[in-house]
Order: sequence, then structure tokens, then C-alpha cells
Amino acid sequence: MQYEWQFHLIYNYWPVFARGALATLEITLGATVLGLLIGLPVGVMRTARSPWLRLPFSIYVEFFRATPALVQIVWLYYCFPILFGFKLDATATVIVALGIHSGAYIAEIVRAGINAVDRGQFMAARAIGMPYIKMLRRIILPQAIEKMIPPFINEFANLMKLSTLGSMIAVYELLQESNNLIATIYRPLEVYTFLALVFFVITFPWIWLSRRLENRMRQSA
Amino acid sequence: MLSIKQLTKAYGAHTVLDEIDLEIATKDVVAVIGPSGSGKSTLLKCINFLEPYQQGEVRFEGQCVGYREAAGKRREASDRVINRQRARIGMVFQNFNLFGHMSVLDNLIEGPIQVLHEPRASAIERAERLLDKVGLLDKRDQRPSRLSGGQQQRVAIARALAMRPSLMLFDEPTSALDPELVGEVLATMRQLAEEGMTMLIVTHEMEFAREVATRVVFMEDGRIVEENAPERLFVSPENPRTRAFLARVLRHHGHHNHNGAR
Repeated sequence: MQYEWQFHLIYNYWPVFARGALATLEITLGATVLGLLIGLPVGVMRTARSPWLRLPFSIYVEFFRATPALVQIVWLYYCFPILFGFKLDATATVIVALGIHSGAYIAEIVRAGINAVDRGQFMAARAIGMPYIKMLRRIILPQAIEKMIPPFINEFANLMKLSTLGSMIAVYELLQESNNLIATIYRPLEVYTFLALVFFVITFPWIWLSRRLENRMRQSA
Repeated sequence: MLSIKQLTKAYGAHTVLDEIDLEIATKDVVAVIGPSGSGKSTLLKCINFLEPYQQGEVRFEGQCVGYREAAGKRREASDRVINRQRARIGMVFQNFNLFGHMSVLDNLIEGPIQVLHEPRASAIERAERLLDKVGLLDKRDQRPSRLSGGQQQRVAIARALAMRPSLMLFDEPTSALDPELVGEVLATMRQLAEEGMTMLIVTHEMEFAREVATRVVFMEDGRIVEENAPERLFVSPENPRTRAFLARVLRHHGHHNHNGAR
């Protein structure tokens, strides 16, 4: 089959993609900040000694990792208002839902980072009589954060792609803007192809940075 | 100062420490020897409660370590009490365990400032004096990873001393070192013993134990098999198991002499 590509048609609509990209970035940044605010304390609590203290945080992490982000968004948008009588607008819904979703993954990154610190560091801190929280703050986390940065950047790139789920509830991010454009110019092949390229351009640098940092860490270790 | 009575610890069905009795008075230097897996390290870790124990008790300066009696039942003591006890007991590890993200000086002042809440200036002053004492004042701003193993272990000793402990625990302090670096660490420990520090040392350095310790304890299978003055234990051990162990290790170690004294 011979298809005649007409990418020049898209050229005139570049502001549509720029607008979409800005919305995607806004969702990604918002969800990342929220994910960090949730993930950092939850990840720390997941390393607590008491299993009872760990339990609620483990349930949160496992539940949100084992359910699709799309279902979480749709649930927050349609079910939450019915149950609690309080409705967020579509963009805020996506940010909150993805923030809670990525919080679970960031918690795992934090936990893995803490566990990757040599056990001897914990012992030395305890042996001088340091309280647990102070030990985490002064001794363990400063050494864990370095290990957490590459997977964290990776998670940021993931969120960028997950933000397309916003189109399901008509958030004007990149995918939604593209769908609308198709309704105007009837060129789905060009639009979706170009959309993929836009995503690659805004996502790949983060993935590349993450890998680079990881390699550099491995060399210095 | 330290009184251990009937101390017993098990991991599941495996008994690691079996009714250990040990008394340590101020200025005692006690060396603990024995085959690996005999429970020596675990004994040290029970003394500052890095490891919990099931029966018996460890009393340090008159106070039970890690536990309190409540209505006839034994309860774990609060973190605050345990941390206060740990702060009085210095510990030196086989793998040094210096804080890798801090300079040598920061390693020494971390405990005094964060745990003892000392003013920074006086903590730094004492830290510098201690670094001078272990001969590493010129390394004060270096990261630990830039130092040799022997230097790291001397910093670790200084870090423990910075807390002004009344008892020092050494967990195989020279076992991770290249042979040529063992001497400098033993020399530092010998100096400490001569200054009257109370020390409990788990070691494989028989020569050192013999010269520096006031008493030697031989452990095997979680029990204290024999406890005696070094000249007795090394020259004419009473227990046949002590004799067998010494015959084994002295044949192995006898040919190299680190001579850490000078």
C-alpha cells in the first residue's frame, strides 16, 4: 500500500503541539512533586523495624502498583465525587491520581536506596547512640540519595508518558490535542506519527541522563 | 563496670551464646579468642545491644543493657535509654564503617554534636587532639575512602574515643587489614590500653592478646571454655579444647610477627 505522507499539513498547527506539550509538562511536574512528597516518607517508613508500622505503607505501595494508572484516574474522576461529594477539575484529577500512583513507585526507589547503603553504616550510627530518625537523616539518606537519582529520573520519564492517560477524561495534554487536530484535518497518520516524535524528543533526554548518571556511579563505585 | 550473667542468645533453634558469664573491671583489657562462629562477635554486639538477647543479662555501670523489668516481665528498654547506654560504649568494627559521605573530622564530631549535644568548637578541638594522637591530623579534611585500611581503622578508633566512652569494644579490628597495616592499628590499641582504657577485644592476633591483655577468654560453640591470665592461658591452658585451638592457630600464625608495639 502506498501512502502519501503530508507532514506539511501539520506544520501550520505547531501551536497545538506546543500547547499540548506544556500541559503534559505541567501534569508531569505536578505529579512528580506530589509523588516525591508521598514517596519519600512512605519509602522511609517501609524500612521501619516494626512490621505493624510498615503494614499500612506496604498496602498503599502494593495496591497502587498492582492497579492500572488509568483505572485510578477514572476512579478518582467519576467515583470519588459521588462518594465524597467533592470534584476536582480534569487536570487536577490527573495530577493527583498520577502523583499518588508514582508515589508508590518512588517509595520503592527510596526503600531500595536505603537498603543499598552498607549495613555497617547503620551499625556504626547505632553504636554511637544515634536515634533512628537522626541516623536516617544524617547518615543513611545522604548516602542513599545518590543511588536514588537515576531511577527517580527514569520514573519522571515514565510519568511523562503516563500523562497521555489524561485524554481519557478530556485533559488537553498532547494526545488529546492530537485527537482534536485529527478531527479538524483528517490526517491521523501524520498526527500520530508526529505525536510519537514529540514524545520521543521530550522523554528521551531524561532516559539518557538517567543511564549516564548510573554508569558514572558504577564507575566511581 | 561490666557484668555479664548467664547471657544466652539464639537464632531460632541455633544457640549462639550459651550462658556466658564475664566480669570486666575498670582498666581491664580482655581479649576474646576462639574459632570463627564461636559467638565472639555476637557477644560484643549484645553488650551495646546491637543484638538483642533472650536470657541472662548484661549490666553496664550497674544498669541492665537493653531491657527493663516491668511487673515481673522483661521488656525492651526505650530507645532513649538504649541510646544513652550505647553512647557510653565505644565500638570499633572489622570493616571500620566510617561515614563515607563525611570528612575524617566530621566523622569524629558527628556523635559528640548530634548525640551528646556538645558545642561544635569543643567537639572539633577534642577531635583534632584525638586525630593527632592516632597520628592522622593531616588527614582531617580527607574522605575516609582516600585513606588506607590501617588509617581508616585508626580514625574509627578516634571516632569511638570522641564520645568519651568508659568501655571500648573491638570486633576483630585488624581482620580486614593487609598484613603490613596491622601493626599501626595494634600500636594505637596498645597505647590506649597503657593509658588505662577498659577494653574488650575480639581478635585473632594471639601475640597481641598475650602482650596487652590482662585476661584472655577462649570461646567455642557459644560458651566460654576458659578464662585466664594470658601467661597462663597461652603457656599452660587448662582445658584440652583451648590447647587444641592454640595448637591449631599458633602453627598457622606463628611465622609472622607484626610487632605493633614500636
